Amino acid sequence: MSACKRVQQWATFARTWHIFDCKWQDPYQSAGVIKKYLMGMHKPIYHPLNDCGDVVVCINSREIALRGEDWRRRAYFHHTGYPGGASWTLAWELHNKDPTMIIRKAVYRAMQGNLQRRHTMERLFIYPGEDIPEDVLQNVTNQIRQLRLVPTRLDHIPEEEVKNYPKVMDYPEDYILK
Amino acid sequence: MATIIRNGFSLVRKSIFPSSARAIATTKQLNIKEIREQKDGSKLVIEGVTLPSPRAELLVRAEKLTPSAIASEESDVTKPCYLCALELDVKHTDVLILSQFVRSDGCMLPRRVTGLCRRQQKKIGKMVSMAQKAGLMINLTPAYCKKDPRKRKDYKKFNTYFDEKTIFMKRIPDQNDRFKR
Ligand SMILES: [Zn+2]
Repeated sequence: MSACKRVQQWATFARTWHIFDCKWQDPYQSAGVIKKYLMGMHKPIYHPLNDCGDVVVCINSREIALRGEDWRRRAYFHHTGYPGGASWTLAWELHNKDPTMIIRKAVYRAMQGNLQRRHTMERLFIYPGEDIPEDVLQNVTNQIRQLRLVPTRLDHIPEEEVKNYPKVMDYPEDYILK
Repeated sequence: MATIIRNGFSLVRKSIFPSSARAIATTKQLNIKEIREQKDGSKLVIEGVTLPSPRAELLVRAEKLTPSAIASEESDVTKPCYLCALELDVKHTDVLILSQFVRSDGCMLPRRVTGLCRRQQKKIGKMVSMAQKAGLMINLTPAYCKKDPRKRKDYKKFNTYFDEKTIFMKRIPDQNDRFKR
């Protein structure tokens, strides 16, 4: 094998490290994207028996956003195996206990149910905050695009911009400002 | 018989209250924009000042934007209100637009003030409450409100986003319904 081809071989089968910012992202929608990178489905050489999956680092998992009333409506089921061992935990209770669990379970559910996904999940790193270990960060070479725009709070927009923003509604003549 | 009684009642009521309870006033209705309170010593002066609207110059209206659009609009149906005519796609994250329809304590203004059509009033009102639940207009809340969304209780302290499609849904489908037979 020539030197040039050898490098091409390395580049093809090397594991790439991707970073994903979970801030204001829906975990169930972003799980479909993270899954693709974890299993290597974004590569043309993908095959289920081909070990070509990448590593994904999720940061800010504490800041995920669920849709509508999901925080209090979505329940996670667990059974200890003993009689009466069933328990239902609401999403916000689970997030209080472990802020990485919702996104981990979402990615796990998004993958097909065979034993390979246990090993694929080992390549997923989730951190609740922004600070991640240095040895993890120095491997990262790619960023996965966020699915949803992070909304801006009104009090974070400078007051001058709020004042000079084009107005749609005007008060009627006899309105009393409150 | 019933109609005669009802008409009699309404006649009596109209003679006492001419149109509605709000119209009773001993003086002329004041057209005021701002109420100012001043305190010099023991004297408290409260005056109503009529001010020009600060929004008059920044106001965006569909008829001003494109003269060609108004010609096509006249041939078609006229839009029921100014927001329909603008044809904006407002989302609940557009706090710069939604904050214009809101009092200083974050409460949605009534329709006689906003001048919207029924549908838009409903839509904007729902999106205002969505933005408030998501903690995006936290500076436009009552004084007793905690100003940091993370200090709220239970499920309210986590980030939530909303789908605008659910505003005019008759019934939001339940996740558990999938398991019913
Ligand atoms: Zn309208």
